[in-house]
Amino acid sequence: MSSAPEPLSAINVSGESLWLIEPRRDGVIDKLRELWRYRYLWWYFAADALKAMYRRTKLGWIWLVIRVTAPVGISALIFGGVLGIASDGPPYFLFFSCGMTTWILFERSLLVVTRSLERNRKLITKVYFPRLILPLSAVAPGLLYLAILLIVIFFTVIYYRRYEGLWYITLRPELLAAVAAILLTLVFTVSVGLWTSVLQARYPDVRQGIRYFMPFWMYFTPIIYPLTIIPEQWRWLIGLNPMASIVEMFKWGTLGYGHLHPTSMTISFAMIGLTLISGIWFFNREEASSIDKL
Amino acid sequence: MHSLVVEGISKRYLVPRPLKSQRTETRLERLRSFFSIPLARELLGAQEVWALRDVSFEVERGTVLGVIGGNGAGKTTLLKVISKVIAPTAGRIRGHGRVVSLLELGAGFDDEATARENIFMNAAINGIPRSIAAERFSDIVDFADIQNFVDTPVMYFSSGMYLRLAFSVAINMQPSILLADEILAVGDLEFQERCLQKVRDLARETGLTVLFVSHDMEAVSRICNRVIWIKDGQLHRSGEPEDVVTEYQNAAWEMLTSGEKPEAKGSSHAGRYGEIVDVKLLSADGREIGSPPKWEDVYVRIRFRTYRAKTQARCGVDLFCKGVLVLRSAQPDLIWVIPEMVYEALVKIPASLLSETNYTINVGVTLTRAEREEHALVVNRALTFMVYGADAKDASAGKHRMGVIDPTLEWSLEKKADVVRA
Repeated sequence: MSSAPEPLSAINVSGESLWLIEPRRDGVIDKLRELWRYRYLWWYFAADALKAMYRRTKLGWIWLVIRVTAPVGISALIFGGVLGIASDGPPYFLFFSCGMTTWILFERSLLVVTRSLERNRKLITKVYFPRLILPLSAVAPGLLYLAILLIVIFFTVIYYRRYEGLWYITLRPELLAAVAAILLTLVFTVSVGLWTSVLQARYPDVRQGIRYFMPFWMYFTPIIYPLTIIPEQWRWLIGLNPMASIVEMFKWGTLGYGHLHPTSMTISFAMIGLTLISGIWFFNREEASSIDKL
Repeated sequence: MHSLVVEGISKRYLVPRPLKSQRTETRLERLRSFFSIPLARELLGAQEVWALRDVSFEVERGTVLGVIGGNGAGKTTLLKVISKVIAPTAGRIRGHGRVVSLLELGAGFDDEATARENIFMNAAINGIPRSIAAERFSDIVDFADIQNFVDTPVMYFSSGMYLRLAFSVAINMQPSILLADEILAVGDLEFQERCLQKVRDLARETGLTVLFVSHDMEAVSRICNRVIWIKDGQLHRSGEPEDVVTEYQNAAWEMLTSGEKPEAKGSSHAGRYGEIVDVKLLSADGREIGSPPKWEDVYVRIRFRTYRAKTQARCGVDLFCKGVLVLRSAQPDLIWVIPEMVYEALVKIPASLLSETNYTINVGVTLTRAEREEHALVVNRALTFMVYGADAKDASAGKHRMGVIDPTLEWSLEKKADVVRA
């Protein structure tokens, strides 16, 4: 009954790659190369993360719009309308929305990125693929929120042109700074997420912590108030919060009202770089052992 | 040429040390565990658990390697290490080509996505570009036999369809090494057969190497070229399928029955009504023997007695081989027995009936009083013996497949004269 194997020399093995599994981890360069080989997978995880946002709801994508516009609208009404916080020039709603754009990308993405390993537990304990894809593709929902908010801002600008006759945002080279701010947000989110996603796999407390910590972080970021309310000599300190610099950069690029302080910018960039490098190192080091704990 | 070389693989897990006892039955204990000091578990440190310890083996190209062993022996951990899902603690593995794993039914599947989407998703997980997946698409659908359900979300699939799709996707990913963990348990017989056939064909034609984890010993001995037996995380045995499987089955059967003491539930050799005094294996001339030769009659003698008057008795035996109930035989009539006398029942197992392998016998005596009052005395595993053949040194015994019995049957071959010649 047993089937005799063919003579082995008759089998063509050319074109087959040799591989090796060892307890030692692959280097970061190998990991990144592998990540590229698996690039087809990014979209699947991104699409999955998007679908998870309104899975089983009847309103579907309309929920996404509500989840962005409702909090932004209500907050703008309370802070600008009821409390009368000054905006340093532009209409408060526009000022607040522009501040929220990069923040919403950061805040919403970070939560999804943090849970990315945990949420795909079933998959990563059964099938191999570069795990780095998970935190990377988990920024998709945040990007969608960002896109919705940008559309809202676009129509707001049109509205003010119509009723006040003023273009608050115009097409000018400074807009590139806003684009850079968005890219920096993505880098920073993933960098922080590399730490939190691995930690979340071991200590589910991480997500709870982030949820409660985020509103405070937002208050330390010049979103509801302009940076000018901070005394001039202390203003550079805000650079310790990279999101503050990013938010200011976006407002400067769009509304032209931001305050780009060289010292704080440098501090922020350094911190983003540091988070990124340490995040990649940490993720690469702890990835395997955290999967054991999932 | 080796397709896979596993060298001294070990895997250690660190599991949290349990807090005092894990007993949380009472409400108070449950409450206490709820309010236990946070992080206390963490501070206690972790306990080492070795799922695999120094496992080494080599697999040639085109081999179907069976991996057997009890639950929790480390079979799945081994496959997970080979598929890179978990990192080994020590050792290394060298291999050729793409490894595709079927570790769990529908692991890479999204229930809410359609079969079509899942096929592309799985291809992506295996690092296969969409264009190549599209080329193989019709093959996958055809083998899975789901032509009419390509655009149906897989959560509406029956478990059989699910399995067919998962298996079909896996073998169409051009694997050089296929890791299959207990996946065929769900499918119907026809599909199981088709899968096994396909695995064997691919192994022969394309040099596919298969690691086949299964508890279906019949399938393992049929399709595997070699079998390894993992026990407590270690490589226990490795060799020809028939040898390893037989040894494994015997060991499993012994494990199952050795824990049972005569007093244990369901196995009571003595009771209020009587007792089984002893059970022996006898040769034709009445000698007590340990293992009978195949060519001689052998007797099972059951000695029992009753404590009660007006009792009828009936003896019976169950003969097991590799955990299979080969036969059950009982004395045809009830006989009257009187108290304080020892009775002896003899049952003959004729020569040339048993196969050259291990057997176990359970013995039962039913005592019946006044029609309805029935009491059973049972001795599980009363006898364990091995039947030996004409040439005990004949190494081929066990090499070729044998049934659980091996009776001498009558054959005839005649030349028929009335066949018309062409």
